[in-house]
Amino acid sequence: MTTHLPLLDIRNLTKSYGAVKAVNDVSLHIDRGEIAGLIGPNGSGKSTFFDCSTGLARPDTGTVVLDGQDITGWSLNRIAREGRMLRSFQKTVTFRSLDVEENLIIAGQMFTFPSILSTFSIGKLSRQRIAGLRERARELIRMAGLWDVRHQPAGNLSGGQQKLIQFASMLMPEPKLILLDEPMAGINPKIIERVVETILYANKSLGVSFLVIEHNIDVVTSICRRVIVLDQGQKLAEGLPQDIIQDQRVREAYLGG
Amino acid sequence: MSLTQTSERARRRDYRIPLGILLFSVALAAPFIGSRYVVHALIIALVFMLPAHGLNLLVGYTGLLSLAQAAFFGIGAYTAGLLAIGYGTPFYVNAVVAGLAAGAVALPLGVPALRLRSTSFVMCTLGFVIIGQAIAKNWISVTRGDMGLSGIPKPYFELGPLSFTVGGTTGFYYLALAIGILATLAVFAVVRSPAGRNMVAIRENETLAESLGVPTWHYKLIVFMLSAVFAGVGGSLYAHYLTVVSPLTFQMYYSTTMLIIVLGGGAGMISGTIFGSLLFVGLTEALRITPELRMIAYGLCLLVLVFWFKQGFAPVINRVWNAIGGAK
Repeated sequence: MTTHLPLLDIRNLTKSYGAVKAVNDVSLHIDRGEIAGLIGPNGSGKSTFFDCSTGLARPDTGTVVLDGQDITGWSLNRIAREGRMLRSFQKTVTFRSLDVEENLIIAGQMFTFPSILSTFSIGKLSRQRIAGLRERARELIRMAGLWDVRHQPAGNLSGGQQKLIQFASMLMPEPKLILLDEPMAGINPKIIERVVETILYANKSLGVSFLVIEHNIDVVTSICRRVIVLDQGQKLAEGLPQDIIQDQRVREAYLGG
Repeated sequence: MSLTQTSERARRRDYRIPLGILLFSVALAAPFIGSRYVVHALIIALVFMLPAHGLNLLVGYTGLLSLAQAAFFGIGAYTAGLLAIGYGTPFYVNAVVAGLAAGAVALPLGVPALRLRSTSFVMCTLGFVIIGQAIAKNWISVTRGDMGLSGIPKPYFELGPLSFTVGGTTGFYYLALAIGILATLAVFAVVRSPAGRNMVAIRENETLAESLGVPTWHYKLIVFMLSAVFAGVGGSLYAHYLTVVSPLTFQMYYSTTMLIIVLGGGAGMISGTIFGSLLFVGLTEALRITPELRMIAYGLCLLVLVFWFKQGFAPVINRVWNAIGGAK
């Protein structure tokens, strides 16, 4: 069917916490340029699946292949740095005492072992790289509509604005793939629109692929081409969003039937 | 950033530069103004300011609570003492080697310790101090055990044809002041560098920093080693000033003093560490006059701190400083 490799190919991922199989033998793939949705009732293993895919947790079994490279067991920061696969967290998190611009600069640096020594203000390397990052950060800040507050500490801003900071931060290192964990949770409709716009812009203009966990079904149907449903740690269904919401099994899972 | 602010609202005059010059002059003139005893207290404050600066990088900026600072302080003191007694090396060699030795020991200690989570890490660093003391007591062929090292010579310098010995309290005060200023500038450079920003990011949210590609583990290890270097240099000053080093240099009391300086002064603020070392070390030294009241006064000071200055004194200092600068 597909002649080229998928961008992200996860095979038979399993993760248990004690006797509970949080994720049970789930396989899925994300194609280049795709926005896919991951839905399921609370406790169905969506976040655990994210954690295991991005290196925050180690899967018991299964493989994660990103862009043809096996990244199973890599640490969170290595996957972000070398794999250019980034993730957001369910709870909105920013570096609260740092201003918006600094929040974004941190995300773009991608220093690794010997070169992190240069960040202790030894040598020109880091200074040049930081100057370039500041440019890029300003572009993204303008795009996210945060220009007027760019020198405010992130902790002083509203939840919605912090969500935008988080989102803009993930675009800093020119990612290939972004995993979003409930990006619309707890923000007002105006910001929802803005986040949707930003996702679509990043997808079309910057070529970023997405896997989105989301409960807001309107958002899912409007941006996702394909939806995967998890229930009790297992893959329940996969398909077009309009088919999925009609699916009897999915409705039962959501209603606890 | 504050410079532009003040030029915008130039209604009130900026007295910060004259005040800075005044404070610096007072620091320079201290041996001639104060009594010998005051100068001695200032020297002790400056000696402890070094490990406190290092600890501030670790606790205040990176968010890692460590009690190991006294261990590195002791390693620095023993290194400098042994070099000075055994080889008669100049002071700057002793200080540099003491710093490097402490930093080098921090590497194998940091690798396992930094894998631990918050409270376990604190307990582990506490262990380093106890082990350090045990080694100092029992490795008699090198450390002379409980007798310690005595008769450590006064710091001496060799600059080309010129060589001189820093004898006397006044001379040592200027030496400690110079090293204190250098250390403060070094901390300032680290904090203002991109690494300083990453350290704050790790303190605020380590998982987020990691998810954005920051190699948090490497940063924590480097800062742990860096804090040990500061402690080691401080230890070398301590050894040369007191001319005696004993296993008691490795004691929890020193670690907690350094921690109180950082937290009481204001974690994550350089002015806090400077003020904290003057206040807490200077105070305990000054209160030696009334031994009965000494610990009570010290304890009261800590209570005031905990109840009224939860962030330490630095925010207050910064507010006063900005007010002097003409900002509201």
